[in-house]
Amino acid sequence: MNKRLLIILLYILPIPALLVSLFIGPSDAASGGEIFKSVFGFLSGESASGNNPELLNAVVFDVRLPRILLTFLTGSALAVSGCSIQAIFRNPLTDPYILGLSSGAAFGAALAMALVFIPVQLSAFVFGLLAVGLSYFVARKNGNVSVISLILSGIIVSGIFTALLTVVQYFSDPFKLQSIVHWTMGNLHNAGWKKLQSSFIPILAGILIMFIYRWRMNVLALGDDEARTSGINPEKDKLLILLAATLASSSAVAVAGIIGLYGLIIPHIVRMMIGPDNQQSIPLNFVFGGTFLLMIDNLSRTVSGFEIPIGVFTMLLGAPFFIYLIKKTNIGWEQ
Amino acid sequence: MGAINQAITVKNLSFAFSGLKVLDDVNTTIEAGKLTFILGRNGSGKSTFLRLLAGLLAFKNGEIEILGNKSSQLSFAERAKITGFLNQQHKAVFPFKVEEVVLTGRAGCINFIPKKSDVAMAFQAIEKVGIAHLQSRIYSELSGGEQQLVMISRLLAQNPKILLLDEPTSHLDFTNQMNLLRLLKTLVAEGLTVVSVLHDPNMAFVFGDDFLFVKDKQIIRSTPNFEPWDAGFLSFVYQSKLEAIPYKGRAILVPQIKVVTG
Repeated sequence: MNKRLLIILLYILPIPALLVSLFIGPSDAASGGEIFKSVFGFLSGESASGNNPELLNAVVFDVRLPRILLTFLTGSALAVSGCSIQAIFRNPLTDPYILGLSSGAAFGAALAMALVFIPVQLSAFVFGLLAVGLSYFVARKNGNVSVISLILSGIIVSGIFTALLTVVQYFSDPFKLQSIVHWTMGNLHNAGWKKLQSSFIPILAGILIMFIYRWRMNVLALGDDEARTSGINPEKDKLLILLAATLASSSAVAVAGIIGLYGLIIPHIVRMMIGPDNQQSIPLNFVFGGTFLLMIDNLSRTVSGFEIPIGVFTMLLGAPFFIYLIKKTNIGWEQ
Repeated sequence: MGAINQAITVKNLSFAFSGLKVLDDVNTTIEAGKLTFILGRNGSGKSTFLRLLAGLLAFKNGEIEILGNKSSQLSFAERAKITGFLNQQHKAVFPFKVEEVVLTGRAGCINFIPKKSDVAMAFQAIEKVGIAHLQSRIYSELSGGEQQLVMISRLLAQNPKILLLDEPTSHLDFTNQMNLLRLLKTLVAEGLTVVSVLHDPNMAFVFGDDFLFVKDKQIIRSTPNFEPWDAGFLSFVYQSKLEAIPYKGRAILVPQIKVVTG
């Protein structure tokens, strides 16, 4: 397909995806037909038709709309962060989940939920950052961070924070426990305006910084020596981008739980479609990352009578993808 | 007068890697507008010296002056306008196009997003090196020789006054080696200063203007007493018995062959 046409399509795609998502859900009062009737009725000046206009309004605007927006932002945050992290670590096999960031942020958020007096977003960010720092520190050997050692250290760090998360769950009272467990699996079903309010600023701020630095990532992806001798301070830029990625993805984890491997899959799909140039792929990760998670969320809402946590879907989708990448990419096992 | 022609002046430079001394009180100069080769054995400190010149290694003792600027006081962006650096080998992780790789050479002059003029300079550099046909190809899928040419285009897009190259021919076949060295000679003829580490002294003597030898933590250059291609001197530098064969006023060195038979 023509690349330019493909890019235009990717930018338009969120609009139908957002509209379709508004129609999907378990409530009969807000089925597609009812919503259509209500909108049509409103336009033709008739008084509200349908059986229950107030309920319809509540379902669409207080339940579905915030959920859709939050899902979109979460998907965008993970995809843009994943793409950025891959570029600055020069590692196509990493993302917030593999790096341990998600587990760290999840532990931080759970801790805050259990203890009440710490802000959830802040705690998620701090522990997400701690996890990334730890993964990086463990993987670094003789000034080098290899592809494999970063994956391995991510596994260990992720394991530590998952264990700590279990400890938090163990000491939580049953009411809190239920919400923590639900949320850990990656879940957007109790997303509301309040959750959106608490998260959209840090998510968008993080994404904005990564957006500003998107071309620089091309330079950083070439290597430290190359960046440095062509006039860029790689340590400073990488730290800033990493902070931005941690801010966006830990905030996403704080509201939506662990959505595993999503930040790995989307940047690769975007790269396959339009190439590795981050100047183009960062904004495309934003739109496609949001759209695709919306579609997965729609699926998880409709495929069975009860809601399957979205993290389960992305994990089942991401794992074979990861295996495919290991087989395909010429990652230097020796490097 | 002489000072104006110095591209690089090194004074009392010492450098150690985790306590192990690599360079000890080095004093030398590199002339502007010339093709200077740095020669010496493996592990002698050639690459270390070049990386010190490129600002990739920090030194505590001594001073390096580059076109009148104290090296230790240059910012990344300032330095990029003066010197460009080419690594021995570059491994690409992502399948960037050649034009995208070359454009990154402009990084020092680009705030966040490249301007049209930056893209134009990248294309000029690509044409200058004669790889316009590779422009839209994937960098990581090119041969070693082509990749080196791309990285040299990247340096030209950066547009520094001095090129510092670390064994640019080490992974190239004979033809590509010659082509690359010819290109360097052309760039020097057009006013650039090129400093390159090289393994092969003969290639250096065929193409180069000036020669530095790294030996015993020191940098030696020829004196009026002996030419750089002096057989005795090179036998000392390379620790192997060599014989000089005259070539165009210079000499080509061949090893003395001593076959031990039972």
